[in-house]
Amino acid sequence: MVSFFRKIPRTIVVLVVLAAFGLARTPFENRLGEQLIEAKLVVPPPGMTVLDQMGQSALMATLGGLRPLVAGFLSLRGYENFSEKNWDELRQTYQVITALEPLEESHWVNAIWHLGINATANMELDRKLPGFERKRRFHNYAQQAIEFAEKGLEQIPDSVPIRKQLAEVYREKLKDWENAARVYGEMMEFDDAPQYAERFHGYFLAKVPGKEQEAYDYLKGLYDEGEHQHLPTLIFEIRRLEEELKIPYPRRIPEADPDANRARPQKPKPQALPGGIVIP
Amino acid sequence: MSQTTPSAFEPATKTVSPLSLRRVMVIASSSVTQLVRMKTFYFLLAFAAIIVVLMSLNPPTTPAGVLSTIKRISFGTMDVFAWLFAIVSTALLIPKDIEDRTLYTILSKPVRRIEYLIGKLLGVLWVIAVSLLVMYGVCALALWSRETLYIAEELEAMNADARYSAENVGAQIALIEQQGLRPELGIAVLASFLKAAVVASVTIFLSTFASSSLFSIIISVLVFIIGHAHTMATSFWLYQTDNSLFVQLLLKVVKIFIPNFQLYSFSHGIIQGEAVAYSLVWQMTGLTGVYLVVFLFLSLLVFIDKEF
Repeated sequence: MVSFFRKIPRTIVVLVVLAAFGLARTPFENRLGEQLIEAKLVVPPPGMTVLDQMGQSALMATLGGLRPLVAGFLSLRGYENFSEKNWDELRQTYQVITALEPLEESHWVNAIWHLGINATANMELDRKLPGFERKRRFHNYAQQAIEFAEKGLEQIPDSVPIRKQLAEVYREKLKDWENAARVYGEMMEFDDAPQYAERFHGYFLAKVPGKEQEAYDYLKGLYDEGEHQHLPTLIFEIRRLEEELKIPYPRRIPEADPDANRARPQKPKPQALPGGIVIP
Repeated sequence: MSQTTPSAFEPATKTVSPLSLRRVMVIASSSVTQLVRMKTFYFLLAFAAIIVVLMSLNPPTTPAGVLSTIKRISFGTMDVFAWLFAIVSTALLIPKDIEDRTLYTILSKPVRRIEYLIGKLLGVLWVIAVSLLVMYGVCALALWSRETLYIAEELEAMNADARYSAENVGAQIALIEQQGLRPELGIAVLASFLKAAVVASVTIFLSTFASSSLFSIIISVLVFIIGHAHTMATSFWLYQTDNSLFVQLLLKVVKIFIPNFQLYSFSHGIIQGEAVAYSLVWQMTGLTGVYLVVFLFLSLLVFIDKEF
C-alpha cells in the first residue's frame, strides 16, 4: 500500500490535499466571512459602480488588503485638498475613501461637511469668480454633499452624525426648511439622537409655508410634556404660531413672550459736560 | 546459551522519537538568531519614523478624527510590515541554509525533516510576534500621549464654558476615548499576527520546491494579493462577464487553492471602534491553526524526499 502511494507523483498528492482542504474549508470560510461582515469587523467588497471610479492605486489597495491604510493616507490628502480649496479633487478623494471604508461614519460626515459647508461657504466668499458661476457651484457642491449623505445612509442607515451634518447643509446653506425638518424628524427616532433634534424638527417645520398648523400641534405637544420643554425658543415659536394661526386666547400658552420680560439694554446715562451742558 | 555482545562496528540502534519539541525549539532559536543577524529588526526604525511623522500631523478635524487617522495608518502599516516580513524572511531561510550548507549539517543529525520545517516556521513566527509587540508598544505610546493631551484640552475648554453640562463633557470625552488606546486593539494586533502566520506557512510550502528566494517571494505576494481579492474579484468578474460558466469554474478553482486572506482583515473593524466578537476571533485562530498544519504537511510532502 505504502509502495503504491510512493509511486504516485508527489505533485498530484499535493494538489489533491490542497483541493480537499480547499473544498472542506470553503463553506466554513463563507459562513465566517458573512458573520465577520455582519459584526462589522470586515468591510464588504466595494460596489461595481465604485470600482469603475477608483484610481489605480486605490484599486490595487483593495486587491492587496491595504484598504484601511490607503483610506488613512487619502484622508490626509482630503485635508490637503480642503486647505487648498480644491473642491472637485476633494470630492473625488472622498469618493475613493468612502468606497474603501464604507462603514466608517466619519468619512461620510467629513465629505458632507467639506462639500456642504466649506465648499459652499467658499463660493459665497470667493470674489474671483463671477456671481452666476459662484451661485451655480454653490448649488453643485451642496447637491454633492446631499448625494454623499444619501449614499452614506444607504451604508449606515442608523447614522445620527450623517443626518446631523446633512441637516446642517439644508439649514445653514440651502435654507431648505422642509428637508431640514424632515432630517431632524428622522434623527429623533434614534436613541443616540441629540435632545434638540425633536425641537428642531418643530422649529423648521414652522418655517415651511402651509405647515404652520402641523408645526403648532407638534410644538404644543412638546410644550405639554412638561417644564423641561419650556425653553425660550420653543415658547417664542409657539407664541409666533399662535399669532399667525390666530389661536383663541384661552387656548394660548400662559407664558409671556420670553423676550418681552428681558431687561432692555440701558443706554448709558448722559454725562454732563463742563458748563452743565447735557447731550440728550 | 551463548550471549552476544554488540560489536563496535554495528550501527547504533537507538530510536529517534518522531517529533521532539526540544529539537524543534533548537532549530527555532537558531532561526531567530539567523534572522536577527540579518538585521531584520531594522525595519522597526522605519515604523517608528512613520509614527513620528504621523504625530506631527495636525489635520483640521476633531480630536477623535485625528486619533482615528493615527490609528488607521499606524495599524495598517503594522499589518503590511507583518505580512511582508513573513514572506521575505520565510522565503530567505531555507535557501540560505542550503547556500551556507547548514542544512546538510542539520539533516545529517538525527533531526526529522518535519522538525526542521516546524522549527523554521516557529522561528519566523517568534520574530514576527516580537516585532508586532514592539510596533504595538510604539503605537500605543503615541496614541496614549495624544489621547491624554486631547482629553486634558477638552476638559479645560469645556469646563471653562458654562454652556456645557457634565453630561456633555462626559459624552465628548467618551468620543475621544473610543478612538484612543483601548485593550481591544490588542486583538487587532493578533489579527495581523494570524494573517502573517498563514502567509509564512504558505511561503514555507512554496520555498520547499522553489528554485530561488525571489521566486518564493514573488509567488507568495501574488498568492496574498489573489487571496485578498477573492471576494471582490468574484463579483466584479462575474458582473463583467454576465455570469459566464467558464469564469464561475475558474473562480471556484482559485477559491479552493488559494487561502482567503480577506477574512484576516477583521482588525479593520476593531480599529474603527466596533465591538469585538470573541467567538469569531476564536474561530479565526482555529482556522489559522488548521492552515498551519495543512501547509506544513504539504511542505513535508515535498521536502521529505528532496535530495540536496
